Amino acid sequence: MKALLTLSISVMTLAAAGAAGATSYPLTLTDDLGRTVTLRAEPQRIVSLLPSDTETLCAIGACSKLVGVDDYSDYPQQVTKLPKVGGLYDPKIEAIVALRPDLVLVSKYGKLEGPLSQAGITVIAVNPETYEEVFTKTLTLGRIVGRETQAKNLVTQMRRDIARVEILTKNAVRKPTAYLEIDPTPYSVGPNSFMGVLLTKAGARNIIPASMGDFPKVDPEFIVKANPQLILGVDRKTAAARPGWSTLAAVKSGQTLDLPGDLGQLLSRPGPRLPQALLGLAKIVHPELFK
Amino acid sequence: MLVALLLLAVVLGTGLGSVTIAPGEVLGALWCGLSRPLTGAELAGNDVIVWQIRLPRVMMGVLVGASLSVCGGAFQGVFRNPLADPYLLGVASGSALGATVAIVAGWPRALIPVTALLMALAAVAITLALAREGRRFPPTRLILAGVVVGSVLSAATTALILRGEDRARQVLAYTLGDLGFSGWHDVLTVLPYATLGCGALLLLARALDTLQLGDLTARSLGVPVERLRLIVVLAASVATAGAVAYVGVIGFVGLIVPHMVRLAFGAGHRTLLPLSALLGGSLLVFADLLARTTPLSQVGIVTTLLGGPFFLWLLRRERGA
Repeated sequence: MKALLTLSISVMTLAAAGAAGATSYPLTLTDDLGRTVTLRAEPQRIVSLLPSDTETLCAIGACSKLVGVDDYSDYPQQVTKLPKVGGLYDPKIEAIVALRPDLVLVSKYGKLEGPLSQAGITVIAVNPETYEEVFTKTLTLGRIVGRETQAKNLVTQMRRDIARVEILTKNAVRKPTAYLEIDPTPYSVGPNSFMGVLLTKAGARNIIPASMGDFPKVDPEFIVKANPQLILGVDRKTAAARPGWSTLAAVKSGQTLDLPGDLGQLLSRPGPRLPQALLGLAKIVHPELFK
Repeated sequence: MLVALLLLAVVLGTGLGSVTIAPGEVLGALWCGLSRPLTGAELAGNDVIVWQIRLPRVMMGVLVGASLSVCGGAFQGVFRNPLADPYLLGVASGSALGATVAIVAGWPRALIPVTALLMALAAVAITLALAREGRRFPPTRLILAGVVVGSVLSAATTALILRGEDRARQVLAYTLGDLGFSGWHDVLTVLPYATLGCGALLLLARALDTLQLGDLTARSLGVPVERLRLIVVLAASVATAGAVAYVGVIGFVGLIVPHMVRLAFGAGHRTLLPLSALLGGSLLVFADLLARTTPLSQVGIVTTLLGGPFFLWLLRRERGA
């Protein structure tokens, strides 16, 4: 963990020290809303409405360009001092405009693109959803802010850190079948979602088949039938109280636990801290490998 | 006939699901569950699915479907308004708000029906106070007041959902109606609410029949009209709060089931209410079966998607006849 932290810090320092990347402006690209956007010059005043985008910008040395973030961006520390401009569904459009940004990064799910574009502000939707997109969107953000080299370095570093954990878990003697619950309704993660990929890389066998989709609502009887050896996202007391669950292997052996708050948050952010999320998950799935 | 339908619903609801289990095995599992108190044996595998997941879920469907339908039938009778259902008078919105408060605040599950009932009663009290005209509660004023109270409470629920974003999906699922994770314990918690509420309404069936002749006639026949309205509303609130507490807001059942019964078997409340219970219970079990075996995923979505068009078809047919 410590090594990982030092590594990521050194990457950040490298990135900060490096000169602006090789992007040449005007830059034209297609964003996640399928729009063609042209940036005339390197953006200097950026508002980010996605925590993962905020983290990526900071990790590639563009943190100082941020002039505002959404309510949920809380990492790294320095962004917590920036003006908050609301959330995805309740953005404070006036506050955003008042910050005079020359670029606003949005999710493709909000409805900000229209009003902000009309106010003459460049809007680009960048939201990574799948595992691979975390890397491709990091490179996209690198191009947008003129930090291509740093973005490439970050991606290399992330892949290296992930591979390091994967090498350990790949050869684990037993890989427990696991059920990861992201919402008690219950919703889980399919193997192709970025969380599902992390779960597999952490050395678990996801009980949810790919055919059920990326974030499926699961029929409780399916979980009982699959009888997972490990349950993540539900504490043991809650799990045991659910109809039929007291007979599950995971409940009987005590292998059911709520994710610690910080890990839960890491897992929900498809950004530069993906390797940390994987490491945290792998330590839970295979504690014996990380002694 | 409706008894057979309900039995069929229970058998199919217990036999089918997202996990395929052979009929013989289902019977074995039921026997296993029934004999468990005698043998003390522990259930495993498919026995668990049938006995601890499907059967309580089916029973919850029967209880909730029956409660909402009986309340709908009674409301339609007591206010002589075909559009009345448990959502009238803000009963369901009140229950939903109470349950949402409990969910968002993260209170223990056992408190959910209690807060639901308290808020349902508060909602009814406000509605009645708004609608009151001297000592009388004229139906139009009651319904108007109910709509307003219901809307305000729904808005409060939505505000809570947006604030408690961590649990937003849980609360959203709840407001769409969901029978998932209904266990025997939940069934036993809801049972007294359903029995008490529906039982009282069934006992009042004869008085409700008399009320159909109009307030004046009913009064001259010795029916204490205002008190009857109050008791019906209270009984229906108890049953609705129990139904809404664990499974959420399930649309259209309370509205359409009494109409279906009326079209097929006539409008007398002594047949209408019990038959509504049977049909409502069966329909909800079938709807839940559809929900858990198709991507529609939640029973409230199924009832609304199927119930809405069916209701319109009923309206057209009635007009054409």
